[in-house]
Amino acid sequence: MIPLLPIALINTYWFALPLILAISLVYAASRHEEWPRILRHAARLFVMITGILVLATAILLAINTQV
Amino acid sequence: MDRPNPDLIPLKNRSKAAALALIWPGLGHLYQGRYAKGILYLICIFGLYAVGFALGEGANVYWTWVNPLRDAEHFRLYYLGQFWVGLPAWPALLQATLVHLGHQPILDGFMAAPLLEPGMNDEVRGVMEKVVNHAFSLHQKYGGLKEVGDIYTTIAGLLNVLAIYDAFEGPADRANPSAQASSSTDATAKAEEIGR
Repeated sequence: MIPLLPIALINTYWFALPLILAISLVYAASRHEEWPRILRHAARLFVMITGILVLATAILLAINTQV
Repeated sequence: MDRPNPDLIPLKNRSKAAALALIWPGLGHLYQGRYAKGILYLICIFGLYAVGFALGEGANVYWTWVNPLRDAEHFRLYYLGQFWVGLPAWPALLQATLVHLGHQPILDGFMAAPLLEPGMNDEVRGVMEKVVNHAFSLHQKYGGLKEVGDIYTTIAGLLNVLAIYDAFEGPADRANPSAQASSSTDATAKAEEIGR
């Protein structure tokens, strides 16, 4: 196996981005056949999922720092 | 002369396409001639699975033949998602079956569940101890990355369910007439009507 130690130093939050990108593209591709539609839908979904996650993280962080 | 209608998506043999999509992400679409989508699914789904698999050094895709109601701790819930990636995840089924039947897992325990049972014979136990030690060493080496790998591989499998559905039924957006799908026979019949 390839050593992964340098990857272990990356904050795990960054691993969410490729995951969200893959989810957005595959979901959009399963909805449409034309590429402009797929890409537009995927971009919208990517922004929406990322936004919700950032918001949820911010709320949880705010609560945690007050406890 | 009959001309193919570009608005219709030829799904060819839909069951065959769905089966191919289940065997390997994107394969069903390549069979249907939907090459760009096939490559997109291959990169996104198989790529996600491959990265997740590498993050867990192959120790995060495994199955155990246990009853989840009796032994919830050893039941591998993630594999219910990972299974749908197809062939790349199926060796885990073979290894679990071999171990369940008391045989030694093949390929030095690759994709075997890291579990030691009291009833295992010495040969099987020798291989399984290596598998267990490898799985535990991952946490020490990479911390939470194994869990990221679990999530990547599981989500990849679940995304392939969407791809299988797309191969069988065509794109889900039926409101757009250009996204309408049909079987090859329907496509030919409609193309004939338009040609008249």
